Amino acid sequence: MPNNTFRFIPFLFASVLAASPVFAAKSTLPPITGFTAGDMPYDSGSIALLAWDADAGGDTAAAVSPGTLYRVFVSSLETGGWIKAAEFPAGEKMSKNIELPFWAWKVQGNTHALKVELNNYFSGFKDGTVFYFKIAKVKGAAAIESEVVSSVTVSNWFRLDRLNNLILLIILIIVFFWAVFHARRKGLFIRRIAGLDAIDEAIGRATEMGKPIFYVPGIGSMSSISTIASAFILGEVSKKVAQYDSQIKVPHYDPIVMTVCKEVVKQSYMEAGRPDSYREDINQFVSADQFSYAASVDGMISREKPAACFYMGYFMAESLLLAEVGATSGAIQIAGTDVEHQLPFFFTACDYTLIGEELYAAGAYLSKEPMLLSALKVQDFGKLVVMVSVFFSMILVALGARFGWEGFVRGILHLFRNY
Amino acid sequence: MSETWIIIGGWLAAGLTIFLFSFLYKDNPFFKIAEHLYLGAGMGWLFQVSVTNVWIPKIWEPVSKGELLVIIPSIMGLSLLTQFIPKISWISRYGFTFMMGYGSGLAIPAGLSTDFMSQIEGTIKPFSLLASMSPFAIFNSALIAFGAICVLFYFFFSVEHKGHLKKVSNVGIYFLMIYFGAAFGNTVMARFSLLYGRFDDLYTFSGAKYLYATQFILTGMVIYFLVYALFAGRSKNAIKA
Repeated sequence: MPNNTFRFIPFLFASVLAASPVFAAKSTLPPITGFTAGDMPYDSGSIALLAWDADAGGDTAAAVSPGTLYRVFVSSLETGGWIKAAEFPAGEKMSKNIELPFWAWKVQGNTHALKVELNNYFSGFKDGTVFYFKIAKVKGAAAIESEVVSSVTVSNWFRLDRLNNLILLIILIIVFFWAVFHARRKGLFIRRIAGLDAIDEAIGRATEMGKPIFYVPGIGSMSSISTIASAFILGEVSKKVAQYDSQIKVPHYDPIVMTVCKEVVKQSYMEAGRPDSYREDINQFVSADQFSYAASVDGMISREKPAACFYMGYFMAESLLLAEVGATSGAIQIAGTDVEHQLPFFFTACDYTLIGEELYAAGAYLSKEPMLLSALKVQDFGKLVVMVSVFFSMILVALGARFGWEGFVRGILHLFRNY
Repeated sequence: MSETWIIIGGWLAAGLTIFLFSFLYKDNPFFKIAEHLYLGAGMGWLFQVSVTNVWIPKIWEPVSKGELLVIIPSIMGLSLLTQFIPKISWISRYGFTFMMGYGSGLAIPAGLSTDFMSQIEGTIKPFSLLASMSPFAIFNSALIAFGAICVLFYFFFSVEHKGHLKKVSNVGIYFLMIYFGAAFGNTVMARFSLLYGRFDDLYTFSGAKYLYATQFILTGMVIYFLVYALFAGRSKNAIKA
């Protein structure tokens, strides 16, 4: 009997330990070490960043054992209420996979790093709220859990990851002021833009024929760059119209654009020395509904048979509806838009078309205003930066990829990444 | 919905579609009816959208709950209406200034990121996979980069495009035209599908269920145009005589 008892005790002890998952895990899975939780830098305060060692868990790319998973849990309570936030195989979600540039993120060797979007699980929390995290490493029936760690998240004022954008913006601002300085002193050169030289011809034709000119500023709002460019062109066109004592009509889609254009046209008439010729009904509101606007402007063009039509600004599906009617009415037509998929319709129906950037350049080209010329020079500088960057980066990245300079290639790509 | 209303709806839809299509022949009273109805209906619809989607949820309800801060942007918005009263129209400048300011603040960083940085990265990124790329993929990536540089040069206004520079600019135009051709074809196909949709509706409304709305309206309009042409011709002859 004593012998039997002696034999039974180790068997019982072994059975109990084997039934315990912790022991089972310890017997097959190494412990999770270096587990920390912190605030994700350069965010709006809703992301926590978890990190833990990969080496100790045997998670290096070569040592990943198939079927090993990490489960990440989050809770607003220390003792319970755990919500599974992520599950992924060991060897994934490493520190190098965090999408931050090299100047804002230091890659930690073999370390797992995971962003937990707390907004997905909790709502209405504020900066400073404490959250608790734990991870479990699972392989088959074996599992091991980390200790519980806590963290608070805070929103950040400065996004270091966007430093590249800031530097570029500062350079562009410096170039702008340099260009303003030079434009005021000795002017700046702009190459000839064919479509704009035709504006005088179109206005002269309308004056000779005694017919009105239609200037359609499109359906963009005042925040659209093409609408702003259109307002500049309208200023120059209406100045010439005032000088020639011709007539202009500007049908509007957006009441705010109409208000701005009213001021622009009024100012142009005053600058031309013809304030008496200005009429309040030059700018008229038609409709804020796209196709009823198009139908109405089509009706006006077909009835009044203008000598010239200008379509400058932001256009969508109404572009061909307008330009086609203008063409059949026999008007000389000049169009300009930065909506690239509408440009082909203007090409087919108009005499001259300003493509994209030419529309932005038009205001400066016509007015020779130092401020506008400077803005154009900055745009050119931006294009030069893009051309040079693409050319040299393409070569460097190709060389880096060819010779396996991974860090070098990643560094170049980071310089131009949109974070 | 009763059968009568469905028939009336069918006649209205078929009638307005045909009235608007009649503009392809020439400007006429039917088109004018449809045009003005469309204009009025469009404005009415937008007004109710403004009231139900903006005024009630964004101003009325917050103010009713005591969130008085929304009054500040509301006043700035209302300031734009002072444009209609010349004596106090200067007030509208505050609203405009704010709109231009926040518009620029939103647009400039977003523009820099998406129109500038992302475009450069997107053009050079394929080369980072050079080791695993097929010769055709390498050629494709190089062609895109070359095209991007040439097209950008076409829009470069600071130098006169002549000599070798003109050749680069011309290559840029070819790239643009290829894109525009593809965009044109794509959009025309989309427009055709809209046209088929209208024809399909007209076919539906030509059935007995809708009391042959399409046929009656079309016939009525053709008779009108014939009679009009006849009388217009007579009156012209009378004037000549």
